[in-house]
Amino acid sequence: MFELDQRIAEQLTEVALNSAVQVRCGNSNAFMVTASTIIPLMQMFEMGGVYISANRGAVEIIEAFESIGIDVSKIQFIDLVSSGILGGTDVPYSNIHFVDSPIMLESVLLRTLYILRTTTSERNFVFLDSVNALAIYNEDRILAEYLHTFINTFRQREILSVVLNVPDQTPPLVLSNLDLYCTDLIDRGQVVIH
Amino acid sequence: MQPAAVYTRDRCVTGIHGLDEILRGGIPYGSTVLAAGTCGSGKTTLGMEFLVRGALAGEACAHFTATEPSVKLLENIRQYAFFDMNMVDSGLINVFDMDVLYSWLGLEKASFELDDVHALIKAIVDIVNTIGVTRLVIDSVTTLCYKIKSEQLIRDFLFTLGKKLATLGCTTILISEITSATENAHWSSFGVEEAIADGIIVMGDVERMGHLLRFLQVVKMRGTAHSRAKHAIELTPLGVMLTPMLKWGAQSDKTSRWGS
Repeated sequence: MFELDQRIAEQLTEVALNSAVQVRCGNSNAFMVTASTIIPLMQMFEMGGVYISANRGAVEIIEAFESIGIDVSKIQFIDLVSSGILGGTDVPYSNIHFVDSPIMLESVLLRTLYILRTTTSERNFVFLDSVNALAIYNEDRILAEYLHTFINTFRQREILSVVLNVPDQTPPLVLSNLDLYCTDLIDRGQVVIH
Repeated sequence: MQPAAVYTRDRCVTGIHGLDEILRGGIPYGSTVLAAGTCGSGKTTLGMEFLVRGALAGEACAHFTATEPSVKLLENIRQYAFFDMNMVDSGLINVFDMDVLYSWLGLEKASFELDDVHALIKAIVDIVNTIGVTRLVIDSVTTLCYKIKSEQLIRDFLFTLGKKLATLGCTTILISEITSATENAHWSSFGVEEAIADGIIVMGDVERMGHLLRFLQVVKMRGTAHSRAKHAIELTPLGVMLTPMLKWGAQSDKTSRWGS
């Protein structure tokens, strides 16, 4: 049975809408940490949101969520992966939007703002999955600049930003900037494998 | 000591997301603005949204199209959530085919002389005056000016048209087609439009690792302490949306004909 990390929900009760939360995870617990973050945001705090996927195609993420009983109909997905695969954008979900590439960072920001302008939810989050995936395509300094812009854009609009990150795959400059910009840290980066 | 009162010009609020912030409130009323851009950069969409936002505020607007038939233009613009065909039916948005206008004026010729240019100015000004147009778009002034063979005549045409439209309180966007939006490029095809216009908005693409990102940059707007930064744009169903372009990504990663 899939087990959620309940302490993440407890930590999320402490954050305000204009917060920026860095969620650190490892490779092996990334999905559990993601689900443990998304579920309370949707179910406890009744938020809608935008899930930016630079890590995997949105269909795969939706199916993973659905397999553990999460209804993602209130989440709009921005998929930065599938346009790079011919035929990857032919999907059965209407809540997936595509951006051509993870290097089109401004387009991701504008698409997110567009979705938030059309949403009916009063309280919203933006979940970025993940900084280390963006780091594959973007130089350190542009990624650091982008995260600065990204976080401040949503803080100003009182939209909760949640930034997922695998620290040992993230360049030091980006990591230190992320520590500086984010208001809260949920650290599940140290994974003990029994 | 009391601070001196600061004079501020009344502005035509474009209603385009982000653009009014860049322009510190909008375009000064009666200005003629050159919207110069490469193909596919969003010039026509920007122009149409400028008109539709005006129509939503109850202003009479006119669009002179020389690059595509009006029927095709309206079909393309119907996909945008901000557009409503009733705006056309109710007379708030008026679209004119330049070919039809040339035909009315007996100007079906390859090149225009001085009298032809004056007849064209009079026709446009008469339409603006009769309908009470406060927002006008000519798409494109490049296509129109190809028929005017002398640089001096192009200058006279644009200067006289701009002056008469300003007198009528009409804020005008002249769309200009350019092949490059690099720093060293001209922002108009004939080199004279940019000198006469009160404002210049440049639109183009930045190439980043093989992908084109649209940008918009206001390089000139008389009477306005505007931002001169490059902004990334997206053409969404809600219209044009802008955000400042990342400083480390504002230059193309190689020189290309598409932009800077």
